[in-house]
Amino acid sequence: MPLWFARGLRRGVVTTRYPARPDESAALLPTPPAFRPDQLTREAADLMVAACPGPALSRRDDTLIFDVGACTACGRCAQVAPRVVSSSGEFELATTARSALIKKIPIRGGGR
Amino acid sequence: MNPSPDETEAAASRLRETVAAQFGRSLHIRTLDTGSCAVCEQEIRLLTAPHYDLHRLGFFFTPAPRHADLLLVTGPMVRAFDVAARKTYEAMPGPKVVVATGACALGGVYPKDPFVHGDVGQVLPVDVWIPGCPPSPLALLHGLGVAVGRLAEKTPGLTFIADGGAA
Repeated sequence: MPLWFARGLRRGVVTTRYPARPDESAALLPTPPAFRPDQLTREAADLMVAACPGPALSRRDDTLIFDVGACTACGRCAQVAPRVVSSSGEFELATTARSALIKKIPIRGGGR
Repeated sequence: MNPSPDETEAAASRLRETVAAQFGRSLHIRTLDTGSCAVCEQEIRLLTAPHYDLHRLGFFFTPAPRHADLLLVTGPMVRAFDVAARKTYEAMPGPKVVVATGACALGGVYPKDPFVHGDVGQVLPVDVWIPGCPPSPLALLHGLGVAVGRLAEKTPGLTFIADGGAA
């Protein structure tokens, strides 16, 4: 039973306290991936770029470029490279600069 | 026509100050669907449900662009919608804020389709970008808070690099 439902029965209020307080339901959201550079090889990066249905992932030499704005949190990169990818848990991603959403992930795995 | 990034940044920060001062607890939102699949609209609609209760924060939806302070744009901006989008934006009184909502509006779903512009920024001057497919109501609340300068941005500090932890 969700916590907000129990609280609602007790107090008669279901409304979240967000943004003043964190909301428990945030843990249930699908969120963009986070990557582990020490496990990340060029081969794994290419697999993930190929699996990505949009333009969110690309590789330039030893850098994986991750466009968070283009990510739909579909989880296909986690399917092809489960050791590299975990869920970031971040949903508060709104930004005033589009470029702030483009992240560079160094590729350090595979003895490089 | 195209201002430099510095000018844009300065204008954006001035706009945010004005918006925060003038619309502290009463900001009216007009939503604009430019070809989205309507899941973003479902999440926006949920903002008025009791669990999120957008109105407690002083945000309200309005059907009239002339009453709107904030334009919440979803979808990849289909070319057939050019005139309507421009008229909606021009009908809004200043100062006005444009918020691009969802991966489509950020260019993540149809980046090269010939029937769409690809992202909202190609047609309208976007002030705040909200990623997500769809952005959850919590993410939308955070985005609206960022748009009026009430909440801080977290994105520049995030790396999306997981250190160790579970394999």
